[in-house]
Amino acid sequence: MPKLRTIKKLPKLDMNPMVDMAFLLVCFFMMTTTFKEDMPAEISIPFSKAQLKVPSKNLCTITIDKDGKMYVGLDNKFDRKQMLGYVSRTAGVNFTADQAARFSLLSSFGLPLEELPALLDLEKLDRRAFEQTGIPVDKDENELRYWLMGARLANPQLRFAINGDANAQVAEVKRVFDILQDLNITRFNLITDTEKDGPS
Amino acid sequence: MALPELEDIKVERINERESDNKVKKRNLDIDMNPMVDLAFLLLTFFMLATTFSKPQAMELLIPAKPEEQEEQEMAVKESKTISLDLSKDKVIWYQGITDPDTHVVSYQKLESILTRLNGEIDEMVVLIKPLPSSTFGHLVDVFDALNYSEVGRYAMSELSEFDESLESSAGEATEPESTVAP
Repeated sequence: MPKLRTIKKLPKLDMNPMVDMAFLLVCFFMMTTTFKEDMPAEISIPFSKAQLKVPSKNLCTITIDKDGKMYVGLDNKFDRKQMLGYVSRTAGVNFTADQAARFSLLSSFGLPLEELPALLDLEKLDRRAFEQTGIPVDKDENELRYWLMGARLANPQLRFAINGDANAQVAEVKRVFDILQDLNITRFNLITDTEKDGPS
Repeated sequence: MALPELEDIKVERINERESDNKVKKRNLDIDMNPMVDLAFLLLTFFMLATTFSKPQAMELLIPAKPEEQEEQEMAVKESKTISLDLSKDKVIWYQGITDPDTHVVSYQKLESILTRLNGEIDEMVVLIKPLPSSTFGHLVDVFDALNYSEVGRYAMSELSEFDESLESSAGEATEPESTVAP
């Protein structure tokens, strides 16, 4: 019987050091975190030996997925709003204040201009499920050019980065190069991943 | 005496306080487990929401748009140009424009070839000609090789008729490494 009694009494652990450690780690992660952005498309970026870091501020990302669909993303929501203002003025498509506010929360999008209001009217969760068809880059209706121009005007210090899928056609990428060249943006970045197996 | 002595009251109060303190000391033992739960919950959230590997960037400079009036055509000796035709799993390269000898090299060995050519040819100009079967990944590989072999001058160029004829033959060549120049 006396044995049973000792088993019943659980040993008391001092949890304080554990709390200290856990909060220390929480603080560390809070300081260093950059949140993942939700991308409308799955991109497998190519590998390279480049060692530069992608600029974290004033960045405009042009995403090209494996089917050649184009998406544009800006990192700053004020810039996004200004870019939308510019594009709606030049293209003559009007957005309500509510739509503009919702647009400024969109980290990246890829839709023809006429379809954009429809996307913005959706609820947040439906928006994620919405199939985006890419920004048209045809010769006669080059909307990507408008967006990039708008982005450039919204923030003159903007830096451009091309986030292309490794399986995207070179011809599509060349189109983006041409647009950038046309806008006199001669310096930009290609987003790549560090090669896993080191230099070959 | 009806009233108690002053001394007696003091002693009584001090005694009361001491007994109070004893009770509080026992209560100081707070259960930390919920706090640990909370801390670890936050920790998991931040760990999952963090992007660990930040992607690298490759910087690219392209020439400014040529002005309408002035022709920006630069005369380059044919023998100083190297054309790289990018196809699905290999690069076909040749020197010069008219009647060149074509060589085939894999993307992995392109860098060593370029380093060698860069040493041999003074003021070498590399023309990158992506065939329709090539992808963005290949283009990045080539830019990488060019950067690492320190080739200063390269450009993306339009396909000539000769290049287009290579596209059809590109599928036929069997071993990429078989015709690599020594």
